Amino acid sequence: MISLNKDRYLTKIWKKRAVHLLIFPASVLFIYGILFIIMPGKALIALRSSGKVFANIIMPLCLVFILMLVLNLFLKPAYITKFLGKEAGIKGIILSAAAGIISAGPIYAWYPMLKALREKGADSSFIAIFLGNRAVKPFLLPIMISYFGWIYVLILTVFTIFGSLLAGYCIGILVKENRS
Amino acid sequence: MRIAISSNKPDLEARVGSRLGTSKYLMIIDLRTMAVEAVPYPGGSGQGGGGIQAVVLAISKKVDTVLTGYCSPTAEKYLSANGIEILTGVSGTVAEVVQQYKTGDLQRRMGVVRKSESGGAKIDRRTLFLALKNSSNQFINLLPILVGVVLLIGLFNAFASKELLSYLFTGNRALDTLWGACFGSIFTGNPINSYIIGGGLLEYGVGLCAVTALIIAWVTVGLAQLPAEISALGSKFALIRNGISFALSIAIAFATVGILNFITG
Repeated sequence: MISLNKDRYLTKIWKKRAVHLLIFPASVLFIYGILFIIMPGKALIALRSSGKVFANIIMPLCLVFILMLVLNLFLKPAYITKFLGKEAGIKGIILSAAAGIISAGPIYAWYPMLKALREKGADSSFIAIFLGNRAVKPFLLPIMISYFGWIYVLILTVFTIFGSLLAGYCIGILVKENRS
Repeated sequence: MRIAISSNKPDLEARVGSRLGTSKYLMIIDLRTMAVEAVPYPGGSGQGGGGIQAVVLAISKKVDTVLTGYCSPTAEKYLSANGIEILTGVSGTVAEVVQQYKTGDLQRRMGVVRKSESGGAKIDRRTLFLALKNSSNQFINLLPILVGVVLLIGLFNAFASKELLSYLFTGNRALDTLWGACFGSIFTGNPINSYIIGGGLLEYGVGLCAVTALIIAWVTVGLAQLPAEISALGSKFALIRNGISFALSIAIAFATVGILNFITG
């Protein structure tokens, strides 16, 4: 009985998620459908142009999958979040930044963990450093390099990390904790 | 080896909680020392969010396996992602379940192969399977939007003209960068899409500063996620963090392009 309900619930969730994910590409395909009827020439140009973009990203995408697999094999969210807020000073900053860099998945999936950490006493600046460093995505680097070149990616990565530290410092000052 | 069993009373003779999210206690048992700890969790009052609180508790208490009557798919996903085994459909008293788990009867009945306790960081088939499953899920989740974005760029290339873009991106570096940061703050989703959009904009002659601001703000500033961030971390924190991140996306864009121009000449 329980497993039957669970299956139904899972199917419902999957349907909802699939609809949510497919709305955007389906809308674009719908526009293509209309275009093929009224302006087939232009629609073909658009499709060829998209094909070229796909051809450019297909190899980096394969690398992205391999990097995702490696990260999933060796890193678990619990190991990442346990670094946050436990250590003070420089060590805490480095660990928070590293945790942000290696964290994956949509940000809203991390909010419950961050909330729990903050309630346990993790410093605001560490949470801000973690969120800022999420802009550095190791597993997406192949795609980024294929578009912008490695020198640009290197400079941007360094600045993003320093920027997040600056943001963390400012937030640490501006958001005073109420720990009474 | 530590196991956690959901229960409504802090008692070994209490029955196993029918749902992880609505149970009031996690009974944590160390199978080596047989030490028992009953930990209450506030979310277990049935007002929602109990499942996630139980997950956070199980992680912080370094539990290996969670046993309960029923567990929501979200909580199950978080537990599996953290390497915690979850067994559902469990019934009886907490003491009975502990005994059945220790002898392996419970796992045999449920068709679960006992995890090697000495395994440590060793990658076994189950870990590899879970990692493959997680990676495939992440990949499949990003593909539909990615396909949509690429198809949209095709449309853009076929129809948009430089004149149309230059109406918005006038060539004024400061203003264009501000626009880039604004777009990055409004749009959200996987950063891969921001790279593809950024690459497309560069081909149309939009400045690298504007594209860089868009890429950074895409991840660090989230207007769409702002309500979720406010409810999780407080309005003061969320507003200040997003404001600072917006300003920083512009500053970082200028610094990055400045250094790049200096290096590449």
